[in-house]
Amino acid sequence: MIEKSDLQGIIVRGYGDLTSACFLVLNIVKSNEAKVWLKNNLVNITSGDMKPSESAMNIAFTHRGLNILKLQKECMDNFPMEFEDGMTEDYKQILLGDYGESDPDNWQWGGKKNEEVHLLLMLYAKDENELKNLFEKVSSDFEKYGLNLLKKLDTSNIIERKEHFGFHDGIAQPVIKGLSSLDIPGNTVAAGEFILGYKNEYDQYTESPGIDIKDDKENILDFYKNEFEEIQNSGLKNFGKNGTYIVFRQIEQEVEKFWSYVNSKTADADGNCNINEMIKLASKFVGRWPSGVPLVDSPDEDKVNFDNTSLDKFGYNDEDKAGERCPVGSHIRRTNPRDSIDGGRKDSISIANKHRILRRGRSYGEPVTKSMKPEDIIKEKNYGGERGLYFICMNADIGRQFEFIQNFWVNNPKFEGLVNDRDPITGNHSNPDSRRTKGTFTVQDDKLRNRYHDLPEFVTVKGGAYFFLPGLKALKYLTTI
Amino acid sequence: MTLHGALSIILNIKPGKKESLERLLQEIDKDVNQNSLIPFSKFSDIHFARFIVLDKSHDVNGNPIQERLIFTTNHDLPFDKHLNELIQFGGNGLWKVFSMCDNFIEGEYDELILRKFITENNYKAETFYVGVGDRSVTEIKEENILRKEIEKFIDDNRDNLIMKDEIELRKDIQNFVFKNKELEFAKIPVPEPPSDWTFMKIAKLILVIFGVIVFLPLVILFLFIWMIIVLIIESNTKDEKCFIDREHVRELLNNENGIVQNQFSAYGNLKPGFFRLTTLKFILALTDFLAPYIFSKGRLSGIPTVHFARWIILSEGRQMIFLSNYDGNSEGYLRDFINIAAKQLTLIFTHVVGYPKTRLMIFGGAKDAKGFMEWARQNQLITNVWFNAYPDLSVKNIFRNSKIRNGLYGEMNEIQAGNWLKLF
Repeated sequence: MIEKSDLQGIIVRGYGDLTSACFLVLNIVKSNEAKVWLKNNLVNITSGDMKPSESAMNIAFTHRGLNILKLQKECMDNFPMEFEDGMTEDYKQILLGDYGESDPDNWQWGGKKNEEVHLLLMLYAKDENELKNLFEKVSSDFEKYGLNLLKKLDTSNIIERKEHFGFHDGIAQPVIKGLSSLDIPGNTVAAGEFILGYKNEYDQYTESPGIDIKDDKENILDFYKNEFEEIQNSGLKNFGKNGTYIVFRQIEQEVEKFWSYVNSKTADADGNCNINEMIKLASKFVGRWPSGVPLVDSPDEDKVNFDNTSLDKFGYNDEDKAGERCPVGSHIRRTNPRDSIDGGRKDSISIANKHRILRRGRSYGEPVTKSMKPEDIIKEKNYGGERGLYFICMNADIGRQFEFIQNFWVNNPKFEGLVNDRDPITGNHSNPDSRRTKGTFTVQDDKLRNRYHDLPEFVTVKGGAYFFLPGLKALKYLTTI
Repeated sequence: MTLHGALSIILNIKPGKKESLERLLQEIDKDVNQNSLIPFSKFSDIHFARFIVLDKSHDVNGNPIQERLIFTTNHDLPFDKHLNELIQFGGNGLWKVFSMCDNFIEGEYDELILRKFITENNYKAETFYVGVGDRSVTEIKEENILRKEIEKFIDDNRDNLIMKDEIELRKDIQNFVFKNKELEFAKIPVPEPPSDWTFMKIAKLILVIFGVIVFLPLVILFLFIWMIIVLIIESNTKDEKCFIDREHVRELLNNENGIVQNQFSAYGNLKPGFFRLTTLKFILALTDFLAPYIFSKGRLSGIPTVHFARWIILSEGRQMIFLSNYDGNSEGYLRDFINIAAKQLTLIFTHVVGYPKTRLMIFGGAKDAKGFMEWARQNQLITNVWFNAYPDLSVKNIFRNSKIRNGLYGEMNEIQAGNWLKLF
């Protein structure tokens, strides 16, 4: 049984009805005061068994943040190295593709030259007014309690769950076993992949940092458990239980660059733009039509009356092994290869499900147009201002899940037998060794493939950090140390 | 066709010379292709090469083991040609490196002495796995140039080409290749292996299978007894917890900066006992024998990313080292071990101290994903120098490039031509 009441709510739901949101990135100046603030605010943290209709709040900490709160050293040392090292250690740059424009040296927050990030507050509300109230209530005494607001990251709400390029986002989500109604087996993933304290897809308990039993003076935390019973004789309490790791990345999207590149590759000999061909090529990049309809199901045109509940019910192995419908290197095929990993359908699903993430991102910045129809975005003349996505995902093993996807799939030029393509949407095409090389994108075809050259980066990482999102008991424990 | 060799030189380092040796290797590593000591880019027949300095260690019984140097290459046969190139391009450098090791005659450079030394100190690997088929360095590089040129031709002429049918389209590409002076090499296919060689290869396998069948009752009896002994030994093996030094892992990851390929070196103490050592040696020999038959398509137990790998038993049977060259990064590589080849690799690695608990040497083991990752990281070594001859090619690319070349010759019908065109 998953203890919903001990989970923070954002694991269970994305608060889709709470359309306004902002994220606060903070630095803890005074540790003891910050703990008092946390104690005062425990009641405001939304748990997984609540269905908030007005507002919600969740809270997460970086490794440095937990250290500043003086979480015991043994516990600190037991967090995985990926979390301890964060996003900006030198070796992470190639691993994550954060070089060139996305170099952490250029970040607006969380980078090497920015102030240290300790805490993330996620605020959600049903409208902007309610959000404003919540923010004022929460932030009014930051200074008094030794909290320094480094960044207030405001979000924007785009029509029909689209992202800024004009595509339906957030469709394929894994279903957590034991948490919500079951999906098809291939998309139902063990709870331990997303929540600490449960078994993962290897049938093992994901590593979870512990506390010496003596340090839990108020007896707040649970013991570790195996299938049968609590393990009381280990002398440890399970601090990590019901927690998870949040990967937070601010990703700027250059909408004009995106559509003008697509235009340059589809315009006719006289330079006239061909809107249908533009949308088609952009959809090849994504692997879905702007409406979200998968190319595997409808390779030639977007469908208006497509059954929305079927947007995520497809595979590649039987339908489109060679990528003639949905290119092998397209964004959605790379980030979740489903049954198409070399080696056979069944093994593929089992492997792919060991590298899933739960996405909870939100957009920021004004959308280029209200309608968000590609044809309107293309015609728009004013692209001013910064816009993009706060990419937020949750996973229990950052190295095996988010980092693996980013390195082994998104930025791997050899993905599934390809030669030199990277993810056309989120990949980093600039070679760290030679700035001049640019990416290619191959569109498989029943006769002769087409290949697009000089792909620039359409997105730039502007900030980010790894956070730990503790369970509610663990949060309470933090106020007692 | 070309067969491959695995040169392994393993030497004790002279007392007090470790630091200066490491400095020398650093000099090579700074510019592995064009340094003045061993400029690897000059070699025509090395696929991969590496130097590793092993720190002092202890075997399972606590006996000290001296600091050692390991130098390995994966090269095209014949060995004599490789030796000639080693002497010609790297003779002086190797002389300097080996001078810091035991049993090497110090003094003025002498080509003959070096030749003899390398030949005599070439350690045979228990298992040598080749993932690039029977291709030479030159073939691999040429076939990549061929693919690139054809791809460019397609890019430049796609609008015209797409109007034609598959057979005509293929003809256009053939014409382009055969008229291209730069692609002279592609006019003829790579020579097939000599028929007597193929015959011998098959005959050897048939002989062994025949032998097993004839002695089947004995084999079964033997297996049965063996399994019982294994069970007894396993129940008496105590678990060793692995200790992860994060600084070590960070250093490993910082070293791992290949975008396409990386290397893996790991070694550890073998669990004690004659029975285990014999079992391990038998399994390694069997793998070595069977690999050309069952792992011939660029897949090591199903893992599609390994260019070359070798296992060597060291220190008179007290330690084992594993070296490989692969596509991707080590996280993905080790995950492949767990996800694809857990059983086969467990059979070998279970004999190394700290390996997750196994049953019958096959079950368990790498299925304990966490235990396996920790064990692998603990035993992984810093490789001081690493050279790769074609750093932007994956194993799959190499096989596909050959398919592209082979499709240039002979007649094809529409379907065959269509399939060939899909290789681009």
